[in-house]
Amino acid sequence: MKAATLEFLKQRFTDYYQQEYLLVPPSLGQREWGFIFFDPDYPEIRMRRHIGFSGREELITYVRSMVPAHAYYSTAYYMTPGAPTMNEKKWLGADLIFDLDADHIVRGPYDLMLARIKEETQKLISMLTEEMGFDPGAISIVFSGGRGYHIHIRDISVRGWGSGERRELIDYVCGIGLDPALVLNHRTPSPRGWHQRYISSLTEYLQRLDAMDPGEAVRELSTLEGVGKVTAEEFYKKRRELMEKLKNSPERVNFRDHTIGKVLPALLEAKTGNFYALLLDKAARADEPVTTDIKRLIRMPSSLHGGSGLRVTPIGIREFPDFDPLTDAVVFGDRLIKTDVSMKLGMSLRGNHYQLEKGVNDVPEALAVFLCCRGIAEIAGGV
Amino acid sequence: MRVTLDLKDFVKYPFLKESQQFIGSYADSIEEFIQTNTGKIALRYALGRVRDALGDRENREKDSSSPGSDSFGVKQAVASYALARVLVSCQNDRSLIERLTRFEAQRAYSFLIDEEETKKEYIAWSVGIDIRNPEIPFIRYVETVSGLRDDRWRLVNREVRAGMVAVTHEEMDELVREQIRVLLTRQLPLKVPERICQLLQPALEQVTLVYQKQMLERFGTVEEDSFPPCIQAILMALTSGTNITHAGRFAVTAFLHNIGMDNNKIIELYCRAPDFDISKTMYQVEHISGRGGTEYTSPSCAAMRTNGLCVKRDALCEKVGHPLSYYKQKKRKGKPAPT
Repeated sequence: MKAATLEFLKQRFTDYYQQEYLLVPPSLGQREWGFIFFDPDYPEIRMRRHIGFSGREELITYVRSMVPAHAYYSTAYYMTPGAPTMNEKKWLGADLIFDLDADHIVRGPYDLMLARIKEETQKLISMLTEEMGFDPGAISIVFSGGRGYHIHIRDISVRGWGSGERRELIDYVCGIGLDPALVLNHRTPSPRGWHQRYISSLTEYLQRLDAMDPGEAVRELSTLEGVGKVTAEEFYKKRRELMEKLKNSPERVNFRDHTIGKVLPALLEAKTGNFYALLLDKAARADEPVTTDIKRLIRMPSSLHGGSGLRVTPIGIREFPDFDPLTDAVVFGDRLIKTDVSMKLGMSLRGNHYQLEKGVNDVPEALAVFLCCRGIAEIAGGV
Repeated sequence: MRVTLDLKDFVKYPFLKESQQFIGSYADSIEEFIQTNTGKIALRYALGRVRDALGDRENREKDSSSPGSDSFGVKQAVASYALARVLVSCQNDRSLIERLTRFEAQRAYSFLIDEEETKKEYIAWSVGIDIRNPEIPFIRYVETVSGLRDDRWRLVNREVRAGMVAVTHEEMDELVREQIRVLLTRQLPLKVPERICQLLQPALEQVTLVYQKQMLERFGTVEEDSFPPCIQAILMALTSGTNITHAGRFAVTAFLHNIGMDNNKIIELYCRAPDFDISKTMYQVEHISGRGGTEYTSPSCAAMRTNGLCVKRDALCEKVGHPLSYYKQKKRKGKPAPT
């Protein structure tokens, strides 16, 4: 990154931090903080962490004078958050966190990735509130400023949980460890939940098999681990009977039947297979290690994401359906800035679409910040 | 909930507050108590409890006598429960504590399953589970089952709705057992003053002896053939020069350390990695093996699954919940039968 670009970004970030109201997390005094600054070798990542603040004023003064490119605090609560090693900090508990990042799900244009991950977030929120029963008031949704959303759950009853308890939750939302025989056997199945999700994924899959050329279908089935041609053929013959059972009496699907007992688990094991893709569509694909990590740093809501210049934006559950990050998380203005773009690109921001040629373009400040932060443009003229 | 407990119940469920209140008069000062004759006998029973918890059958025969069923015997029995907790607290070894709490929970469970319904309900209620309902609150459920290995306990395989998790009546007993274990584990180690641990030194030495013998039997020499497939896969990747993820490195390092492999040997293995950096590797290995103050245990099967490291599962994998258990069992099976 050129010095002029670095200077431009630093100035824009300074303006933001001087003027905007900054949010601080509850129990500020028990959080560890970490920052990445606009050092001369930025965006080379060097984090300064193990920092503690005694109160709101101290933190805000620090942020306003240091103007970080990225600001993070610990999801954990510590006795001595500023201590230099994790052991000395004395862990007291941690918020429950889910991280949804489009990177793990879909590649493509930025707005598309954002739209996709929003759906994923909505699925997660409905599992959290309607299935697990979390109070919507204890859940906060935050646009990460990058390619996704963070969910913070500050429910006192889960604060002391270790990785094991948190793993139950993340495995549940992602559908990890699902056992077909067990979920089909639920006695009083609810219209939500994995019983239903499994049945509808499997039904869809069987319908697809049914619509395929029989030879093709058998070939697909016999690519499964431990499934030979004979078993595949047997299973194919049973497809309609199985669909019927799934519809009317799923508890009667017989796993002692060699074919069923072999193929249904194998379908689930084939992580790159067509069935698994259907099942994943019904899961909420949050990033597993983030939830099980009880000492994670997470972006500070209301700070700026140095990789996009977008605001790490908290969103109320009710506002979430209408939230559009490319409008609602944009904080900079329309002043035109000469920007040298490294490739031809199209991009939407605040409802306007911009088509940029490679080379110098006049673009609104907000877009200039975004492109420079992403590392795909440099400041061309004077700032 | 009101239920009348009798002396027998105090012996069966010594963790209940009623049982503890019953021996309250003795507990004023452990220091004095363990020097009285009653205390000495109770201490012997306590040692027996720890031995049972460690599965030490041979020596168990010697002090197989159990306290009488009169008030005096009951006090000794309940006191032996408390003293066993003191013993493992002095030792302050996480896995010893786990063994004791697992044993105590199992012991209570063996009485509980034959208990009359109202008493059973009361015991369950006192550890926070209402067994009269066909479902239990989500948070309590997760806290109780997160240490259980069976797939049927996994939240993802359960009916979960509106903050409640369905549990059948038959499963309730098992949940109560696990909840007892969770609660007892959470209470330990107790903060025992150093001078009391000093007084208990002879008993503690016996505990160490039994424990060491056990550890040696379980792990002993390193046998690569008995490694679980997930660990073998990572090692294979490592030796073939493939780069492996941080989670993979952590899993394999912690595993090798836990089965007693020497740090230098572990570092040697890493020499084959494409990005081998001796100082970084030494730091990581030493960190995982406890230099920084925390000794890490290798990740469980559930954690391996979450991190996408659970591969090539075989029949034995279905029976275990931890790569270390796989290793132990395979090693045991591999041994030639005694002639």
